[in-house]
Amino acid sequence: MPRAWLPVLVGAAVVVSTFVLAQLQVFAPSAPAGAAAGGDSYRGEIVFERECARCHGSGGEGGGVGPRLADAGLDASRVAAVVEQGRGVMPPGIVTGQELADVAAYIASISSPSQ
Amino acid sequence: MPLADVSETYTDLVTLVFSSTIAAKAWLATAAVALAIVQVTTAARIYGRLRFLPERGAAIARAHRWSGRLALLCTLPVFFHCVTILGWQTPNARVALHSLAGTFVYGVFVAKVLIVRDRALPAWALPTAGLTLASTLLVLWLSSSLWYFTTVRFGF
Repeated sequence: MPRAWLPVLVGAAVVVSTFVLAQLQVFAPSAPAGAAAGGDSYRGEIVFERECARCHGSGGEGGGVGPRLADAGLDASRVAAVVEQGRGVMPPGIVTGQELADVAAYIASISSPSQ
Repeated sequence: MPLADVSETYTDLVTLVFSSTIAAKAWLATAAVALAIVQVTTAARIYGRLRFLPERGAAIARAHRWSGRLALLCTLPVFFHCVTILGWQTPNARVALHSLAGTFVYGVFVAKVLIVRDRALPAWALPTAGLTLASTLLVLWLSSSLWYFTTVRFGF
């Protein structure tokens, strides 16, 4: 076999290894327990910026009619309950289902005072 | 440490600097693409193009090597999160394209590094590999960072 094929073959081996690694998702987190079970803060940020940031500010930093959520010390189940029931000018059920779990997980993550 | 805690630790580390994991990845990928542009530009100068740039020589070669090393460094945390935590996903065309390009990028990188070290290969092999790598990185950036900055938010 000509030496010229070596980079292609080694590169292909790396591509296959990457694909296998991506299929295994070895470090994927397990679903958390509680009201926001299955919430994914990574996807929740996207939902938050689409549905919530107009009132709560980008990244929950405040600046709109809603309160600042960053560093507010909220947990996911409390956030999920408030979003479900609504509060003040915020209508109930503005986000539902998996998106609610995701956005609650995200708000809990930015809300932690340790960040 | 249980495997799933790795995700939490990763998030804790990147949010020391950035507002979220996705923001961190968007900015690191942007840095990698900026460095890839330096790579393509300096490579073009090494090959005798872009004559308006400073003369060919040690400085250009050094800039080429270091921009490549730094670009690789920027991609490592992104690669780690995308591959080992998020994994292969195809919920829509953008994510499917991103998954596909992400699967290929390090394979192309390794091939390019091997081609650099083999002077017996045809002259077109190295620029072809380099441009393929830069194009793959660009596709990854367009399908992730640009999407994030334009449809989610533009911020750290």
